[in-house]
This record gives sequence, C-alpha cells and structure tokens, in this order.
Amino acid sequence: MIRTIIHISLLRLWHNKAELLLTFIVPILFFSIFAWIFGSRGSSGSTPKLKVVACDEIDNHVTQRTLTLLHNTKSLRFHMGDSSHSDLVKPISRESAEALVRRGMVTAAIVFRKKSGGESDSEQSRELDAHILNNSDSGDLQSPAIEVFADSFDQVASQVIVAFVQKASMAAQAEHAQEEAVKLQAARQAASLQVQGAQSVAIPGINDPTVRAIALSSQPTLGLEMGNMTTIAVPTIEVIDILGTNKSNPIVAMYAAGIAVMFLLFSATTASGAILEERENSTLERLLCSRMTMDHLLMGKWCYLVIIGCLQTTLMFSAGAIFFGLNLLGHLDGFAVMTVVTSGAAASFALMMAAMCKTRTQLGWVSTILILSMSALGGSMVPRYLMSESIQRVGQFTFNAWALDGYNKIFWRELPVRELTLELGVLVTCAFVFMVLARIFATRWDRG
Amino acid sequence: MKTIFTRKNANAPRQDSTQSDLSGETRQSSATSAKPELALELFDVHRSFGKTHALRGINLTVESGQKLALLGPNGAGKTTLVRAICGRLRIDQGEINLFGQPVTQASTLAQLGVVPQDLAIYSDLTTKENLRAFGRLHGLSGRTLTERVAWALEWIGLEDRKDHLTKSFSGGMKRRVNIACGVLHRPKVLVLDEPTVGVDPQSRHRIFEMLDELSANGTTIVLTTHHLDEAQSRCDRIVIIDDGQVIADGGILDLIEHTIGCERQVRLRIEGFLTASIPNLEWDPTLELFVAEINEPAEELPQLLHRIRTCGGNVIDLEMHQPNLHDVFIYLTGRELRE
Repeated sequence: MIRTIIHISLLRLWHNKAELLLTFIVPILFFSIFAWIFGSRGSSGSTPKLKVVACDEIDNHVTQRTLTLLHNTKSLRFHMGDSSHSDLVKPISRESAEALVRRGMVTAAIVFRKKSGGESDSEQSRELDAHILNNSDSGDLQSPAIEVFADSFDQVASQVIVAFVQKASMAAQAEHAQEEAVKLQAARQAASLQVQGAQSVAIPGINDPTVRAIALSSQPTLGLEMGNMTTIAVPTIEVIDILGTNKSNPIVAMYAAGIAVMFLLFSATTASGAILEERENSTLERLLCSRMTMDHLLMGKWCYLVIIGCLQTTLMFSAGAIFFGLNLLGHLDGFAVMTVVTSGAAASFALMMAAMCKTRTQLGWVSTILILSMSALGGSMVPRYLMSESIQRVGQFTFNAWALDGYNKIFWRELPVRELTLELGVLVTCAFVFMVLARIFATRWDRG
Repeated sequence: MKTIFTRKNANAPRQDSTQSDLSGETRQSSATSAKPELALELFDVHRSFGKTHALRGINLTVESGQKLALLGPNGAGKTTLVRAICGRLRIDQGEINLFGQPVTQASTLAQLGVVPQDLAIYSDLTTKENLRAFGRLHGLSGRTLTERVAWALEWIGLEDRKDHLTKSFSGGMKRRVNIACGVLHRPKVLVLDEPTVGVDPQSRHRIFEMLDELSANGTTIVLTTHHLDEAQSRCDRIVIIDDGQVIADGGILDLIEHTIGCERQVRLRIEGFLTASIPNLEWDPTLELFVAEINEPAEELPQLLHRIRTCGGNVIDLEMHQPNLHDVFIYLTGRELRE
C-alpha cells in the first residue's frame, strides 16, 4: 500500500510539470540569483566605491595632500574633481557638501573645517599646521578640525570613510613633517654657519619665510622643534549624521518602504489572479457578453488594485508611525504621491502578469520568482549599497529600486515632492507600459 | 418551420424502409402560413480553428418565443456555435443576426442573455450580491435593479438564501443562480449552454419549469443539452448538429417520422421453440430478444401474441418501445465514440 501511494505520488509529480519545476529547478534558480547578487561582492572589480565629496575650508599643504591621498584611494570616488588633483581642491562650500549628502548624491562629505571666529586664513592655516605638528588631539583648537557629514542610511560607509580620512591625514602629516625636517635641517646648517661668524647670506633652498626666520633667529629652539616634528598627530574627526540625527527611529524609515513595495507587488499579483479564475469558470465570458468591454474590465481591476495597494501601504506606514515612531504626518504629501504612483505601477505589473499567464497556478509561480528576484535586486530585502556596483546597476531595472528611492527621498532624506520627479516619472512610465502590455496580452480573451 | 435531415452514419442500422430516401440528402417539409418574427438568424456560418473546421456552413433561424434544443455529440460544434451566437467568437464567413441586426453590435447584445455551461458566478458572494453585480453589468440600476433582483430570488426559489454565500449551495442551487444572473435584464433571447449538467432530476425539473415560465412570457430560448428526454419533452424544436453542420432540424415528431419512423418496437422474451417463422418477428442478437415493429399496437399486438402461441412459443416478458429522440440522435450521429 505504501509503495502504491509513493508510486502514485511520483507519477503525479512527473505529470505535473509545474510542480516538478518548483521542486527541483526553482530552488536552484533562486540560489543562483541570490548567489549572483551577494556572491559577486567578493570580486574586487565590482566592490562598490563610496561616493564622497570634499570641502576644504583650510586649504593648506596638509589638507591638500590629504585630499590627494584620498583621491588615490581605490574605494573612494569623489563626486567633484575625480579626474585631476587641481579639481580636487576646487572649493565647494560646506552647505553644498551637506546638500549633496542630503540628496543622496554622495555617501559622505569630508570637511576640513575652518575654525570659527575672526582669525585670518593664514592664522588658521598655521594653527592647523601647529595642531597637526604639535600632536594636540583637542589641545589648543576649540573645535574638531575634520568633520565627516555622513548619511547613516549606509551605516558602514561612514566608518570606512573615517578610517580612510584618518589614514590619509596621518600620511599627509608624515610627508609634511618629513619635508619640514629637511628644510629645518638646512636652516640649522645655515644658522650654524652664521653663528660661526659667516656673513648673513641667502640660504639656498629655503624660501619659506617662517623657516628662514627660524633658521636665522631661533637657533636654540631647533632641537625642540625637531623633536616635536617626529610625532604624528591622530586627527580628531567628528562624524555628523546629516539625515538620521533628528529621526526617532531611522531604521524603520529605511526598511518600511522596502517591505511595503515587496508586499504591494505580492498582493497585487495575487488579486489580479482573479481574472484568470474568472476565465477558467467562464465568468469572464459572461462579463464580456454584457455591456462590459475588456478595457472596462482591465481598468476596473486596475483601479481596484490601486485602491487596495494604497490602503495596504497606508496601513503599513501608519503602523510604522504608531509603533515605531515613523514620521508619517510630517511627510504626508510625498507619501501620498509616491503611494498612489507606486500602487498604480504595481497594479499594472500585476495585471500584465495575469494577462501573460494561462492559469492562476502559473501566475503564482512566475510572479513569486519575479517579485522575489526584483525585491532582492531592487533593495527590498537588503539595502542596495551592500551590493556590488554591477548588481546595483542591474537593480536600476527593477520596479522596487525606483519605488524605494522615492520613499527614501521622502522619509530618509526628507526632500520635497519636487525632488521625486525622476522616480515618479519612471514609475508612471512603468505603469503605462505594463498596462499597455496587459491589454495586448488580454486580446486573447477578446472576441475570438 | 422547415425540417432538415441529414444522416451522418449511413452504415448505422436502419429501422424503417425509407432509409434510402434520407441517407445523405436533405429533405424539407411544411412551412407555416403566418411569418413570425425571427429572433435569431444564422446564414452560412463558418469557423475554423487551424485545420479544424468547427462550423461548416450553419444555417438556422429561430422564431421569436421558440424554445429550441441544440443537440449534438461532443465536439460537434455546439459550444462554438453558442459562442458565435453570443458574439464572443469571430466567424470566418456568414452572418449572425439578432432581430435583424448583427449580433456583434452592443445594442443587439443587450437583447441577449447568456448562461454558460460553467457556474459563472462569484462563489464568494451571496446570492443577492451576485444578482446585483450581474444586474449592474447589464445596465440595471436603482429601483429597477432592486425589483429585478427580488423577482429573480423568487423565481429561483432562493429568497430565504439570498444572504448566503453561493459556495455553500448545492449544485442545483448554484445552477439556478447561474441562470438567474443571465436573465435579470429581461433578454429577448436566452442562450443556455447545458444548463442542467450535473444536477439531480428534481433540480432539472425545476430549471425547466423556470425556462417554461420565461418562454411563456415570450423569451426565445436556445439551449444545448445532452439530456435528450428533456429536450424532447420541453422544447418545441430540435436541432442536431454534427461535424459543424446541421444534420436535423424540426419538431420531435417530424424527426422521428423522417428518420427511424413512428413504428413502435415490441421486444419479447419467448420460452419454447417456434415451429414456424412469424412475419415481422426477428431475433435481435444484441438485445437477445425477439423484436417486432408495429404501427397500431391495439390491433397488431394481440395478433402477434396469438401467432407466437400458435407456433408453440410462450411469451414470458414483453416490452413496448416508443421511438424517441435518443433513437433519432443515435440514428443520425452513429454509435461511434467521439473525442
């Protein structure tokens, strides 16, 4: 008996190709997709580069050298001036740097902060030099010299950037100290000659008036200066979270959109399967024998899916606001626009899928595979910044990526609705194209 | 009304002497004097699916108020024809008119009610919700809709179950709801594809009562069915199609008379040995019975029984078989299994 049951079950499995596919092929397919998405991070060529921008308010030798070293770091990509050193030091204001971070154009901004107060540039420059050369962690400076404006959406990136800045700054100091040491050595020799009664003559190779002054007038202090130069200061770097500081629960804002969009797609495709059920039991035939046309039917279904999608997303974000402190009320306009457009695009996608498939079972399988893949690539499951650059580019072709970017602009970056033009444009285009495709596929249900 | 007979299976056993007159040809008979309004007209309707010719020149007219049964073996083209009548299938050639207008026009379709073979209702809606939904789809609203829904609930006898989900209903109840959804808008022509499939005799009886009621109110009814006895007893006209063509069309008596004949068949189980042959009495090896065909039972049957007794036979069982639609159907379409 048991053998018979096993035999019957195997035969049924063999005859049910969809189940066969699900049992043996789909797991491999999914594994391959996820391995491709996350496994490719290991290859050095595709490791994502961190986009940064530099704001050099101090603009001295050390900061310039630091920026040069950072520019040569493979893991960093400078938003401005990534082609030459001269561009690198092109001045960018602190406000511009902050705006770039806020808009998500760069992951972080490195700011060599000018000290507040009425000191002149040269005074500050010298002060920073002194700060670096004298190894004063906070010492005589009133505020940190280097600030990193971070976007804590990528929680790892800011720490990595701080490490790079620290390393580059120390290397720059070392190089600078070395150069200074050479100069001071020369000055010492010249001073020594002067002491020995030689005429006061120009010291070849020493053009720096400060060094020359030291050489000519402060010979007793040279030993002390040399001693100080050998110590490299660890720069004080203050990380300022531009976007997450004022949010009561920033992580929720980040993930709510991802989950919402994924489930929006799932629920829409499930609901759109009703049209296949109607076709299977001839209800569709009866509907189309009435005054209803296929256009009416599709538009009716689309409107229904949009309404349900909006309700679903609103409920989810409301729960986020009530239980996790998501600032929904503060971003109602952006949320409303994004939700309507995203629901519309999801509804079109779902109808296209339903019109493409022959049975509800087929729709279930195909949509599950497609939505999970899109969600994985588009950032609904894990943030896209964790993916390699090539996968991130592929992710741009998914529905999820654009929807998530839109929601992130509202809730994370707190940008106004006008900043959503690109995302809304893409989603509206998707909605239109999917709907046209749905109508084309649905012609097979029209008059035969 | 014209009557057409085209016997498909020329090798099938023939039960009357007029076989040669009917085989492979068309015979027409009688026409009514007054010309009634034509509800449905089909002229030379052709439709192919690839190399398969589903409809091969169907010609058919249905008078207003008529109740027509469309019969045929599986794969004969019934459902294709029904879909074409409902405007859901584009025809390759020919014309289909509803009250003189092409059936594809939206205004024409409003005069048509369709009841598919499947239970084309929403099982997760209540009876009332289903009726209201399909009523709206047919353009009903407001008070009219409310009145028609109330009428339909009474008509199908489900007033007490109006707020129950239809998925909890028996097959017969679902069938009734299915039919009601197709007649809410008072169609002049109602097309039903196997409306009684899979239901018990009581429900079938009820459904045909409902259709009788509609017919009495002037609705033209075209239905397909495999229940030949009900088609015979409930419809005024029978059309048999096979291989995409109309092979018989007429009233039941016409069909019987012009195919197998009106003779009744007497089937006898005889004990003993017949010492002489009896005219008109033959041994049927299939039935394993003696059979005789008689026109006037009251006169011929006693004579037959007397002859059997005279020849030494003892009749221990007797069955009188009246020719019916089933015999006509088998005669015209043959006994071969269809796909």
